[in-house]
Amino acid sequence: MVKPKIICVTGGKGGTGKTMVAVNLATMFKNRGYKVLLIDGDVENPNTYLLLNGKLKNKTEVLYFQPKILEDKCNKCGLCAENCATHALLHIKDSIPIPISTVCSGCKLCYKICPTNAIEADLKVIGWIYTSSAFNIDLFLGELKPSEARSAVIVKTLMEKLEIVLKTDQSKYDIVILDTAPGAHCDVEELISQADLVIPVTEPTRFGKLDLLRIIELINLLKGEYRVIVNRSSLLGYKDKFLLELVEKDIDVLGDIPLDEDVVRSYCQGIPLMEISRNSDKNGGGYKSFNEIFENLLKWGDFSK
Amino acid sequence: MIKIAIPTYGTGGLNEVMNKRFGRCDTFTFVTIESNQISEVKSVGNHARGESGGVGIQATQIIGNNGANEVIVDFLGPNAANSLNALNIKIYHTPRGELTVKELIDLRLSKKLQLMTSANVGAHQGMGKGMGRGR
Repeated sequence: MVKPKIICVTGGKGGTGKTMVAVNLATMFKNRGYKVLLIDGDVENPNTYLLLNGKLKNKTEVLYFQPKILEDKCNKCGLCAENCATHALLHIKDSIPIPISTVCSGCKLCYKICPTNAIEADLKVIGWIYTSSAFNIDLFLGELKPSEARSAVIVKTLMEKLEIVLKTDQSKYDIVILDTAPGAHCDVEELISQADLVIPVTEPTRFGKLDLLRIIELINLLKGEYRVIVNRSSLLGYKDKFLLELVEKDIDVLGDIPLDEDVVRSYCQGIPLMEISRNSDKNGGGYKSFNEIFENLLKWGDFSK
Repeated sequence: MIKIAIPTYGTGGLNEVMNKRFGRCDTFTFVTIESNQISEVKSVGNHARGESGGVGIQATQIIGNNGANEVIVDFLGPNAANSLNALNIKIYHTPRGELTVKELIDLRLSKKLQLMTSANVGAHQGMGKGMGRGR
């Protein structure tokens, strides 16, 4: 009974093809007989299920603490407001504090320090978790409620769900692939920190390089192991120069994927390029690249079941 | 009795120009009106102005703790707006230009100012460049 291998697909720059890569890596593992779970941690914009033509089910609310002041118990001392790190309790002398839920971090300090136990735990919905399954790949997906800010809470909830599933059956999955949001915010940090291997996906442009270096800085801070995929590598003829720049910076590359109409087609159809039943052009640039990337990936990590 | 708070530069006072940033002003000038006349003017420093977040809430506490029931402002962020509304403090909007506290009080007393009910800028708009948007 071995724990599943966790691979995090990230990248920094938005639109480089993280989700497309994550979905196809999941598909290739599934093709080889591995039991695969894909977790969509891009909770402000979850779209893995679209690339898999999947239907979302089991919608569950993610609830978050907010304080409720019991007016008959409150002695208006203001201790809660004074100690709130985010100033989420508005307190004028000799009045009952007013919670400002938009800045409340949910730390519960007020709840714990109130001398008269006048604070009760109240809950608000900040997002949802869904499950799905398509092409024999299981999917957990998170969605942050619009106008809420704490994306990392939804991501943590997704990883807690995985932990619960594995407690009941540690061998339920051989491979777990995490798809992150763009950027280097704490929702992305949470997923990188849980991974065995990290795959940043970039594109051969100056913009791509800048954001790649930022995400590598985050991965290094978290002491993660990474190898890069350069997507849309045939873009404008910059591939060789770009790959050379990565070599000069000691950045390991898992492979590159050229522009390929069949990739775009698969994206529009919602059937992954590497899905066997799709019958993709096996001589296509994208198809051959993905196969090469997969072989390099198997050599990089230990994927014995 | 009406007590109006206006965000000001420097040490405040009737002749000081209004500061367009509510939460991050230097001082608040409090003007008490009785029988349509100014009866008291007081300046209070804004200790919240340098903090990284929650400034609108803290500034509102200064307003409330000094007994103001109205404010006159230019730019107001979401935390400040929510906090002032929670305390039922009336929010008046300044017309364009560099107006002094005295000029604004005159406009208020001749009922020429419009009421505001919500924020008119996004969060952290009062911060200087390079301070980040705190996503």
